Amino acid sequence: MTIRPRQGAALLGLAALTAAWVFAIIQLLHTSVPSNLHLPHLDPAHYFTPAQLHRARSFERFERIDYLLAQVALIAALVGYALRGERLTRESAAGRVGTGLLLGMLGLGVVWFAQLPFGVAELWWERRHDISHQGYAAWIVDSFLGLGGAFLSVCLVIAIVMGFAGLLRNRWWVAGAPAIVAVGVLIAFISPFLIPAVHRLHDPQVRADARRLERVEGVPNIPVEVQDVHRLTTAPNAESVGLGPTRRVILWDTLLQPGRFTRSEIRVVLAHELGHQKHQHIWKGLGWEAVFLLPIAFVVALATRGRGGLYSPRAVPLALLVFVVLQLAISPLQNAVSSRMEAEADWTALGATRDPAGATALFHRLATTSLADPDPPGWWQALVGNHPTIMDRIGMASAWRSRR
Amino acid sequence: MDPTYEHPVRLTSEEGLERSRLTVFFRLLLALPHLIWIGIWAVGVFFVAIFNWFATLFTARPPLFCHNFLTAFVRYSAHLTAYLSLTCNQFPDFVGRPGSYPVDVHMPEEPQMQNRWKTGFRVLLGIPAFFMDSTLVGGGGRSGYYFTGGALWTNAFLAWWACLFTGRMPEGLRDLNLYALRYGAQTQAYALLVTDRYPDADPFVEPTVASAPYHPVRLTADEEMRRSRLTVFFRILLAIPHIVWLLLWGILALLLGIFSWFAALFTGQIPEGVHNLQTRYVRYYTHVSAFLWLTANPFPGFAGAEGSYPVDVQIDPRQPQNRWKTAFRVFLAVPALLVSSALGGTLFVAAFLGWFVALFTARMPRNLRQAQVFALRYSAQLYAYGYLLTDRYPHASPAPPAAEPAALEPAAPAPAV
Repeated sequence: MTIRPRQGAALLGLAALTAAWVFAIIQLLHTSVPSNLHLPHLDPAHYFTPAQLHRARSFERFERIDYLLAQVALIAALVGYALRGERLTRESAAGRVGTGLLLGMLGLGVVWFAQLPFGVAELWWERRHDISHQGYAAWIVDSFLGLGGAFLSVCLVIAIVMGFAGLLRNRWWVAGAPAIVAVGVLIAFISPFLIPAVHRLHDPQVRADARRLERVEGVPNIPVEVQDVHRLTTAPNAESVGLGPTRRVILWDTLLQPGRFTRSEIRVVLAHELGHQKHQHIWKGLGWEAVFLLPIAFVVALATRGRGGLYSPRAVPLALLVFVVLQLAISPLQNAVSSRMEAEADWTALGATRDPAGATALFHRLATTSLADPDPPGWWQALVGNHPTIMDRIGMASAWRSRR
Repeated sequence: MDPTYEHPVRLTSEEGLERSRLTVFFRLLLALPHLIWIGIWAVGVFFVAIFNWFATLFTARPPLFCHNFLTAFVRYSAHLTAYLSLTCNQFPDFVGRPGSYPVDVHMPEEPQMQNRWKTGFRVLLGIPAFFMDSTLVGGGGRSGYYFTGGALWTNAFLAWWACLFTGRMPEGLRDLNLYALRYGAQTQAYALLVTDRYPDADPFVEPTVASAPYHPVRLTADEEMRRSRLTVFFRILLAIPHIVWLLLWGILALLLGIFSWFAALFTGQIPEGVHNLQTRYVRYYTHVSAFLWLTANPFPGFAGAEGSYPVDVQIDPRQPQNRWKTAFRVFLAVPALLVSSALGGTLFVAAFLGWFVALFTARMPRNLRQAQVFALRYSAQLYAYGYLLTDRYPHASPAPPAAEPAALEPAAPAPAV
């Protein structure tokens, strides 16, 4: 068998790409959590009352059923759309790329319809358990308006993909995936400015703790801000957002409400979020996005060949289906990656606060206020668990204590 | 009267454009006795209308005395509004006699059989028409963006100045007012059970004149009323990418507009490349508006290409422009901007009402759609005027513009607003 020069170059390129891909995975897998750290297996019954465990498990049972049904509806809707969505090309006068944008947006619209009953059911359940305060109409309107952002995002992605498909036809994924990641970098950079109802942190104690932890963790000048969410939910949360000069930590105001969380618990939250910044987890997350996106884009390109590839808008409904199915299929991997980074942030927080009791108390309270099952079934954790389980987190605090 | 137009409530006009400056100046004060009288009459109408509603509900036909009383009120109300809005020059009589005024309303002389269901729910059924009426005539709700006076009263304000200085009512404003008056009379007649025929928002039927003067900016619209329910439901969200692109393009258009202003001021016309690009922008703006407001069904392209969309704009090639008109373009555009804002209210309300109808029937009501086409045409003419694509002022008449400039354009054109 003889290999032509072009084929040889293509094979060489593919080999280089694969090598770079493997190298990236090895680099991204690096963590500061000691590799010989063994988390003890803890019994939830030692940390939670039977009533707390029953309430959390009962709450999550419904959520699991709702989630699974929602995924079935999602796939069913997308299958239907992949089969019949092509007909909607007649609703466009926008040319190749414009029609692709329309079909992409309508695909999200169909998904929104399919998910709506499950979202409402989840809201009903959360209201029943006093987790959410949002009204049904307000939730539906918010959800509908939020779809606008999703429409813009899908337009951006489809414009990139179909733009490259115009140049490279079925090899669009080689340039398209990096371009989408580049857009992801841009969005991550500006994301702090897109979060609504954010203001400066006023509590002097929390501010002082934040400054001290920044020094300890070696990440100075990270602004800490507060997002007002108490009208919508009682659940506490915090997040690290932004890149470079836009980096910041956002605390939900439900975390700072008087009497809900102790100062040491809030300190652990701050240290955890600063830990994300210290280890560049947002960059790493983007790196993982690139790692996952490249093969996904390749498979999407392969799967849509029968409909003319993504050069043709007719392929967009099928591409949406393939993309979502692949996303669902690799979600355990993505969750494992996310949990690994969260564990690293926990470990960093323990080192910075040197307060395993505070961390244990925090995780306990997070579980009871959010009604999270502290030790969920493995399949559920694999499907949706983008953080370690509560018992694993408490176990890490215990392991840190025993290493001192 | 147009023999093909079938609505039982029709408006005719034999009024010219000449106006007495003296009566124009004092118009509001002169109308005071009428305003007091119509207020008193309205109290009577309130009680008669309630009685009439019960009577029609039980007998399916309004009693004759109620019918006569209410038709006289509808007619008188139209006379007075025409007088106040400067659509007509003569002082009206106080009883709303048929044929007593140059702008007149024709209604059935005898009470007609009416559908009892429509009678029973008349107030509710009338709500969409009241909304449209509020944008065309005025007196409706508020809105944050649009001028709230309604097209008729906006025109009246502008016409007051025009009549005072020129002694003539601008033809375009007069025609637009006649359309608004017709719709207002039909709404009143519907609400007061004179007829059970719904008001007709189509501006391209009588009493509109056969043809308006030639205009270098023309709008074409197909007759397709089918709408996709799915894209109708998500219409606002689907338009978001276009709105973002429109905003970005708008920045460039604004900068080019400033450049064009200097170019036209010094050379008498704008560069051809700029003219073509700005033409595309105006066309694209119209395509996006037509999509957003349900005037057309398909998702538009992003380039504003001519002939690419069912609601399209044709703009003549560049012509030399009057430098005085160029120099003061921003100020000159203000009256047209007010009219366009008022028509924007009509566009929005027609889209709002059409959204519900299209969602259920998969069709846009033709008369609402035609009202939108008219509003979009005016707005395209305004944009073209603002961006110096033409120095011809937007023409507010709903009548279609003449096809050829030489054949139909008057030697001394009337001031057209």
